[in-house]
Amino acid sequence: MVSLARKNLLHDRLRFVITVAGVAFAVTLVLVQVGLFMGLLDKSTVTIRHASADLWITSHNTPNVDFARTFPETAVLRARSVPGVERADNLIVSFMNIQLPNGALEGALVYALQDFGAWRLPWNVPEGAPADLRRGYSVLMDRSAALRYGAFTVGEQREILGRRFRIVGTTQEAASFTTTPIVFMDYRNAQELQETLRGNTTYVLVKLAPGADVGAVQAELRRRLPYNDVLTRDQWAMQSRNYWVRSTGLGMSMGVTVFLGVLVGIVIVAQTLYTSAVEHIKEFGTVKAIGGSNLDIYRILGEQALVAAVLGFALGAVFSYLARPLMAAIHLNVLLTPGFSAVVFAGTVLMCLGSALFSFRRVAGIDPALVFRT
Amino acid sequence: MNEKVLAVRDVTKVFDEGRQRVHVLKGITMDVAEGEVVALEGPSGSGKTTLLSIMGCILTPSSGELEVAGRRVGAADAGALRDVRRRSIGFVFQQYNLFPALTALENVEYSLNVRGTRGRAAHDEAKRVLERVGLAERAGFLPRDLSGGQKQRVAIARALAGSPPVLLADEPTANLDTAVGGQILDLFQELAKSEGRGVLVVTHDPKVRRIADRVVGIRDGRLVADGAEQDAA
Repeated sequence: MVSLARKNLLHDRLRFVITVAGVAFAVTLVLVQVGLFMGLLDKSTVTIRHASADLWITSHNTPNVDFARTFPETAVLRARSVPGVERADNLIVSFMNIQLPNGALEGALVYALQDFGAWRLPWNVPEGAPADLRRGYSVLMDRSAALRYGAFTVGEQREILGRRFRIVGTTQEAASFTTTPIVFMDYRNAQELQETLRGNTTYVLVKLAPGADVGAVQAELRRRLPYNDVLTRDQWAMQSRNYWVRSTGLGMSMGVTVFLGVLVGIVIVAQTLYTSAVEHIKEFGTVKAIGGSNLDIYRILGEQALVAAVLGFALGAVFSYLARPLMAAIHLNVLLTPGFSAVVFAGTVLMCLGSALFSFRRVAGIDPALVFRT
Repeated sequence: MNEKVLAVRDVTKVFDEGRQRVHVLKGITMDVAEGEVVALEGPSGSGKTTLLSIMGCILTPSSGELEVAGRRVGAADAGALRDVRRRSIGFVFQQYNLFPALTALENVEYSLNVRGTRGRAAHDEAKRVLERVGLAERAGFLPRDLSGGQKQRVAIARALAGSPPVLLADEPTANLDTAVGGQILDLFQELAKSEGRGVLVVTHDPKVRRIADRVVGIRDGRLVADGAEQDAA
């Protein structure tokens, strides 16, 4: 079957290129911006996802994992006494100042546990081992810290809140939502550094016994710890993500970006398709005169919109995937999942078909008698 | 006597232009038989294009009857009119109205696609009618690479595709030089005589009389002559 739609697209090459470029721009904008946002959100829950805790006990209304609040560390004893709990340990998460060799102070997000191995934290340790943290004042420092603290190597020392710590190893991917590097140290060392942490913790990690009912254990923990919140891993991750999305305006900002991207796509596709439809009005009149219907003409415009959508998406997706290693070089993660890409593709098709509707209105009223006008 | 393939009976057409009602056609009765070439002549504004549009089922008459290939279509809806155009009528336009992005062959094939013939059948039929009008060797050319006469031959091939019993031509020689115009007229005559199609040619060109079996004149919405070509000449 002869495709007048595709032939006309290729016949008007410049317009075709502009249309596809417009769609590709919109797709790139949406994929990269939302991918960056999702990459940041991914960081906001990175430790929740990697830790092997089934339940997290937090102080009341803790907004997200980074902004921890203290509560008495004896809560862990009550947690351990609940049937169905296999293991429960205190975890301290706290911002602390680290002094750089040039004298400047920078922030670090300290994670402190007594037994890191039991909770699979940290999860990516290229140099050293978590067990080394039990040897005196030592830390594992994330490699992303080089951006903020300057270059460092294993064996060097850094001052944290006035106490010298030896760097005994490095970790990877351990950075917070705010890109503050995570520093891992022993639980007692962390308590020693800050007055407010003595006798206190910020979280209790809970691992369930095999076969234990998570809902029942969660309910019992809530009953026994009425001044704390008890959340499953998924609930806690969602709460941490939602904080950044809703409370900081980042979600709205992302929504505006997506809206603008879609708007740019609609304007470009609608404008070029409409101009094309107007320029081919006599051809469409001929289609009607030889027996074609409005539906035949809608198909032509729809096919053109679809071709623009598919090619524009493909081009935009290639640009976005190529941008990932460039962004990764500056420690920005553009998170592009197949599911998200499929949603953007569906959105692109809808956007282009929606844009074609403007042209549908124009061609619906074509009088086939115009073929007799010179 | 040959069967009539196109007939109008007492057809009128009135257009509302603002507060005015313009009577463009005032009771036209005429027909075209199979194998017959009829020339419809008249000055600008006489109503010949409106009559052609009604006979081509593009416009509906305000009153009167229209019959195409034995089917009464006077009060038909838009879908039925489209169906008649698709099955029974081939159009040839003054400006050729070819699709510029399609080759000669594709122009004909696309017309067949619109008429419901697809795939190999459409391709083969398109090649056949292009051969019929003597343009087989130009099948792969775009309209911009064809001469005026060749474009009109492609347009005729497109009109012939699907073998409609009626061919309606609007000033088919207006943009052609005398020699090429003569060849196109010969082709119309041949198509009528050898294939039995009824051909109605709307024209200003007196040379059309050479091939016409009858010449019909139209002035101010009324027929003024309807007789054999030699009588009218």
